[in-house]
Amino acid sequence: MQKRARINAAIVMSIIILWLMIPLGATAVYSLFEDWTGIVPRGFTLANYKTIFTDTAFLSAMYQTVLICVIPILITIAVMLLALFTVTVYFPKLEKYMQLLCMIPYTIQGVILSVSILILYARNDSVLSQRMVMLMGAYCIIILPHIYNGIRNGMRAINMKMLLDAAEMLGESKLKAFFKVIVPNIMTGIIVSSLLAVALLFGDYVIIRNLSSANVNNMQQFLYQAMKRSSTEASAVSMVIILITFAITALVLALQSRGMLEKMRNEGK
Amino acid sequence: MSYICFEKINKKFGTNHVLKDIELDVEKGQFVTLLGPSGCGKSTLLRCLSGLEQVTSGRIYLDGEDITAVTPRHRGIGMVFQQYSLFPNLSVRRNVAYGLKLKRLPKAEIDQKVEEMLSIVGLSDKIDQYPAQLSGGQQQRVALARAMVTAPKVLLLDEPLSAIDALLRKSLQIEIRRIQQQLGITTIYVTHDQDEAMIMSDVINLFHDGKIEQTGTPEQIYTRPATRFAATFIGNYNLLDAKDFNRAFGTAIPQPEVAVRPEIINLSRQAVAKGEGLLVAEGKIASYISHGNLIRFSVDVNGLLINADVLFEDKREFAQGDQVFVTIKEDLVIGLQ
Ligand SMILES: Nc1ncnc2c1ncn2[C@@H]1O[C@H](COP(=O)(O)OP(=O)(O)O)[C@@H](O)[C@H]1O
Ligand SMILES: [Mg+2]
Repeated sequence: MQKRARINAAIVMSIIILWLMIPLGATAVYSLFEDWTGIVPRGFTLANYKTIFTDTAFLSAMYQTVLICVIPILITIAVMLLALFTVTVYFPKLEKYMQLLCMIPYTIQGVILSVSILILYARNDSVLSQRMVMLMGAYCIIILPHIYNGIRNGMRAINMKMLLDAAEMLGESKLKAFFKVIVPNIMTGIIVSSLLAVALLFGDYVIIRNLSSANVNNMQQFLYQAMKRSSTEASAVSMVIILITFAITALVLALQSRGMLEKMRNEGK
Repeated sequence: MSYICFEKINKKFGTNHVLKDIELDVEKGQFVTLLGPSGCGKSTLLRCLSGLEQVTSGRIYLDGEDITAVTPRHRGIGMVFQQYSLFPNLSVRRNVAYGLKLKRLPKAEIDQKVEEMLSIVGLSDKIDQYPAQLSGGQQQRVALARAMVTAPKVLLLDEPLSAIDALLRKSLQIEIRRIQQQLGITTIYVTHDQDEAMIMSDVINLFHDGKIEQTGTPEQIYTRPATRFAATFIGNYNLLDAKDFNRAFGTAIPQPEVAVRPEIINLSRQAVAKGEGLLVAEGKIASYISHGNLIRFSVDVNGLLINADVLFEDKREFAQGDQVFVTIKEDLVIGLQ
């Protein structure tokens, strides 16, 4: 009985997965053939991939995109670590307010966020009016809840206050102890949440379109240009973006299950 | 002046007055326990001494120096915590070496001290393992080594064994005491377990509601509880209304309440003569509970229920309803205010 139910569940799941994979598969096929006007595609070719990977514009777009993702993530991690350290150690009563603040970005739509930022800062003549700064600032806001949760959960899993007390009794200052003892122990959590953030930012189109000026050459812009040139080439670009996102997600899952295994092993003792 | 002096220590958390005018002296090399029920302020007093908490008022002296305002890392105090507090990302060796490295000792000296301390706590073979690979008892022994290796002026232990199962706890109590005596290190130990305090301490400070209720050697605390709280917390004292007790035994104890230990009460079938310093009364066995090595009989003496312990040798001597004579040495009866 149970076995049958499991088989049924597996069949349903497979159908759903297949259904969801159809557009993905179609895009992949489309990017790999010269012509798909009939029922069966004709003329297998890797030319599209060859074109984009030899196109310096593509490589520089890739580089830009990575930069636009990585810098906000690093900034957010640094700010969050210091903020959480200060709040946990010196102002534990403010913790719930901090949590509230860090969760607000979950509720903000990308369109509203980018338009609000534009209205607020575009006419400002400080450094804040620069498109790149606005974009990265917006990205910091978008990923804030994820980074917050990653670090916060890591801190919950260890007894941070007591480890800091122990280090202090051994002669260490609190801040140094934080970076020597606490941060290494929550590294997995930090990495996982940064990778999630990368995946999130890679998939963004709305904010980058609204905030980046025409001269910021990133993957989404490149995709847009490619679409005008050739639809098969655009498919190849989409596939590359999807595969990168997949790779990142797989890495996250691997890291998470490793963390889980470690935990199980420790609890088994 | 004593090695450690607490002078009129008060500590408040908001409106919660946790420590109330604590006065406490500790001599060099002593093993001193703070014993009391949970929530009475033992950890708070320990944390005030370590500097992890600030006192609200009062002064603390260590080795002749006023340390009230000194930061924790400059007090030269070692501490072992209730929960496992080893650094999970460092091996046993690097955990124990942590404090020595901060003192910038040469590497060879650090290695030698770490190895020596680990051999004292009996964990030389675990030196390259990580905390997660150790049992709870082993982790606490590493924590002890880590706290002692820097040769602190005082060692503080805050219920270090409370998370460890009973059998292992007993052997670790003896081991900690042995190490403390071997190194002659002044130690303050917090516990809520009276057996633990009795086994380990030179001096016990009985804590109650933010105050020190009684200070003394384990024997003094056990045989001469000074207050009602002490008598309820320590041992299994019978607490009896003095008027009823005087009527039953024909005495004239002036205090309102008396405390009598069950193990000094003698039960017998034969009549016992009221001798010099002996209190005798007749009663009836109301009930009994077997505790393994002894049987605790509840005896009804004129409506006064008294617990008496009898060592269990080969068979239970009395049954429910048996008539017995109850004998108590008069000087072991304690009057309580
Ligand atoms: N950091 C703190 N903030 C507020 N109240 C505290 C804090 N630490 C302890 N307390 C309070 O002080 C009292 C004594 O606690 P504690 O010293 O831990 O007791 P014990 O160690 O004897 O069990 C308790 O009522 C506890 O709630
Ligand atoms: Mg405590």
